[in-house]
Amino acid sequence: MAHAFRRRPDGSLACRLDGEEKAIIAQVAQETADLIRADLGIDADPGFLQRAAESDDPLRRLEAEFAGRDAREPADSAVKRLFPAASEDPTLAGEFRRLGQQDLADGKLADLAQVMAIIDSAGPSHSEIVLDDAQAIALLRALNDVRIVLADRLDLQRDGDFDTVRMLQQIGERVEEASEPEGDQVGSDIVIAVYELLSWLQESLLRALD
Amino acid sequence: MPVELRRADPGMGSLTDPAGAVQEDVGTSGPWCTVVWNDPVNLMSYVVFVLRRHFGYSRLVAEQLMMQVHEEGRAIVSRGSRERVETDVQAMHSFGLHATLERAGED
Repeated sequence: MAHAFRRRPDGSLACRLDGEEKAIIAQVAQETADLIRADLGIDADPGFLQRAAESDDPLRRLEAEFAGRDAREPADSAVKRLFPAASEDPTLAGEFRRLGQQDLADGKLADLAQVMAIIDSAGPSHSEIVLDDAQAIALLRALNDVRIVLADRLDLQRDGDFDTVRMLQQIGERVEEASEPEGDQVGSDIVIAVYELLSWLQESLLRALD
Repeated sequence: MPVELRRADPGMGSLTDPAGAVQEDVGTSGPWCTVVWNDPVNLMSYVVFVLRRHFGYSRLVAEQLMMQVHEEGRAIVSRGSRERVETDVQAMHSFGLHATLERAGED
């Protein structure tokens, strides 16, 4: 069971996580990064465009130039929430995307990668993770982005929707006492549990930072 | 009431003091503004943290803006040149807040 974050005397922030919790956080961070890359068409290898731009083949150079300039409109509903339109005016929104989306994606992917590295360095068993303030900010942002993706999968649209989802889950559990839970329900039970864990962890880190 | 505000501009209507006794506003006047929209995911404490960290707002101002987002569905969190506001919107997106830029006076 996770323990709340606390500020240590040396100024670092620490929290105990068990192996399962660390595995879950690493997995959802990886899945969020994969989803962003796939939906926005970002190559997992950042050197790819650079090499294409330096290629002897003029067609490859041209391709790299266009790929670098292109900011693909998100298609996935969760990625749309992570990369929202910056204006109701489509021309303005498109321009904003073209100029800023790549940097925004790079930042989100860097935060997620940093979280995975922190979890990896803490090892697979129950242990303490220790963060400096910069790592804490990366973790806050990454947890938030992962929660945005999970919320989309749970179809949370308005304030209070998560309470409704939890209530329906509890009613479902009572009904299930008579029958076996269906596959879909088991899947969303896991998403609900992970969402609660990440929300709790984020709140705990915010309190420790305050 | 000593409220620390970056880019404070006397003479504007005030979120912190609707009666206008304290002539200070969040951000300065300008032709553009940054709007943050309500969503069911972001924790209230996180929104306050982001507003304090990015804009340097006091806790009081950040909490009032967060409550405005929560209760009214949106709040203007900064005003300024288009370039300034674009930077703010990009920063809000980097923290996962839903933000848009608008010409000031649209609402």
